[in-house]
Amino acid sequence: MLLDFDKLGALRGVLIGITVAVCLFLILPIVFIAALSFGSSQWLIFPPPSWTFRWYHDLFADPRWFYAALTSLKIAAIVTVLSVVIGFLTALGLNRGRFPGRDALRALFLTPMILPVVVLAVALYALFLKLGLAGTTFAFVVAHLLIALPFSIISIGNALEGFDKSIEDAAILCGASPWEARLRVTVPAISHGIFAAAVFSFLASWDEVVLAIFMASPTLQTLPVKIWTTLRQDLTPVIAAASTLLIAFTILLMILAALVRKGPKT
Amino acid sequence: MSEPFLNIRGIRKTFGSFTAVRDVTMDIAQGEFMTFLGPSGSGKSTTLYILAGFQDPSGGDIFLDGRSLLATPSHRRNIGMVFQRYTLFPHLTVGENVAFPLRIRRRPQAEIAERVRAALKLVRLEGFEDRKPANMSGGQQQRVALARALVYNPPVLLMDEPLSALDKKLREEIQFEIRRIHQETGVTILYVTHDQEEALRLSDRIAVFSQGEIDQIGTGPELYAAPATRFVAEFIGDSNFIETSIVSTDGRQARLVLPGGAMIDGVPLHGAASPGGRAALLLRPERIDLQRGEGEGALAGEVYDVTFLGNNVHVLVGMNDVAPVSVRIPFGHAALAGLTPGERVSLRFNAADTHAFLEPPAA
Repeated sequence: MLLDFDKLGALRGVLIGITVAVCLFLILPIVFIAALSFGSSQWLIFPPPSWTFRWYHDLFADPRWFYAALTSLKIAAIVTVLSVVIGFLTALGLNRGRFPGRDALRALFLTPMILPVVVLAVALYALFLKLGLAGTTFAFVVAHLLIALPFSIISIGNALEGFDKSIEDAAILCGASPWEARLRVTVPAISHGIFAAAVFSFLASWDEVVLAIFMASPTLQTLPVKIWTTLRQDLTPVIAAASTLLIAFTILLMILAALVRKGPKT
Repeated sequence: MSEPFLNIRGIRKTFGSFTAVRDVTMDIAQGEFMTFLGPSGSGKSTTLYILAGFQDPSGGDIFLDGRSLLATPSHRRNIGMVFQRYTLFPHLTVGENVAFPLRIRRRPQAEIAERVRAALKLVRLEGFEDRKPANMSGGQQQRVALARALVYNPPVLLMDEPLSALDKKLREEIQFEIRRIHQETGVTILYVTHDQEEALRLSDRIAVFSQGEIDQIGTGPELYAAPATRFVAEFIGDSNFIETSIVSTDGRQARLVLPGGAMIDGVPLHGAASPGGRAALLLRPERIDLQRGEGEGALAGEVYDVTFLGNNVHVLVGMNDVAPVSVRIPFGHAALAGLTPGERVSLRFNAADTHAFLEPPAA
């Protein structure tokens, strides 16, 4: 090979150096926040003078954190289900349909990914205020669904692209109605794409903060909103503890996703 | 003749201004093996897809047991089909794949188990129930697909070039299996292929498709011995065509002048012709009698090339003003032993073995 790593000589050291620097750049903030959550200093001093579980104790003692986490989980779960179902139907239409303006429609569905989230948030807030839906779970779900859907459409669309429609036709000739064939044959065959859509949709809602701040009410707060509002009141290491748990859960989900995706090939 | 089982009546399919299928009509008897043979784009697959219900015809009708099929959606037609591409359900095992049509039909568990076992036995894949399709060869996958298409005893089985993705040796092996399965089950089969050898090996009758139309329907020997059009003659068996002009004709037979000036009488003629018109004379390579030297043959030429092909030898003979003619002679033909390029030879043939097809007048 032209760029064989073993033959690069002195350049090898430079490459390794850059890679390590990038990794540190990406990981250090996480390590930092995790370390602070176990530090004894109330003022988030680094390195911590000594170690403690006190902030986690405080975190679990305050039911408002628990409710925020529960709210996050509930909204993310509803968003995930809706995003996968709507994303599947949309991807199916874009993949199978033969109609004018299909490519334009595909681009339109992906605009929430490139639109600044703040713009979207202000627009949605104004709309829901007018409809009298501001601060409801419904508004929250709709807002998060908007940013989750492109992930579903892309990953399910890619999976459908690699799925031979003849397989579905075969199921239909075997006696399955078109929808029966899609649910019993197509969906299981593209399950890896559907799973990826579910994970990305969940995460899109789970750690989203900008839309959430606009959609939240004093009684309806997700975990990122709770972190943000607490941060504005006082700088306590409890936030570090909450953030660490948030990150840990996200990492866990990513690992799970990687394992499942590896599964069918072995 | 017994009551027709499957009747295709004037099926037509247009896509915009393009006509893919034009007035396809045929009757297929119960238990018959009918092959649609033709090059790609000749309308054979479109006709099959209309039978499957994946496409609606622009005109015409299809009757199965006297009832029109067109109003019935694909999944209620109770037709079996094996596709060109591998279509086993990837997330199910072989057993579950074959059981799928019966599960959809909500058959009792015991019956499903029994019929899946019988279907896998039919395609000689007993003991493969728990395999996943990804862990099987292409030939095995198509055999499972065949079992899945037959497990619910459909009256008609459609096969759309099921062997085209397989290599030649495997293809022949599975052709043999398909033939055996057809004989064992008695199912009516409609089989699409572009491979004439495959069509001849498998079929009771062959419908030759060309440009959206059926040129001829007949058994293999009929198509070979009495091709209705030049296209059929070219598609079934090997062929040489020689430009001739018509001296006289009674409408069914003609007297022709060959390029060297020799006359040949009593050639079966296809199409209405008048003296002075041009006709292409079909000569089968294996129906030509090759003689050494300038004999009394109808045509004379020079050996261009000799190719050994196992049980026979292929000789290419060049002539003035005519495209080279291929001749096939049995290996070990004593009088022609040691034939070498450059030798003069003459060609003889029986008028009854040839056919003349009208040429459109030169523009």
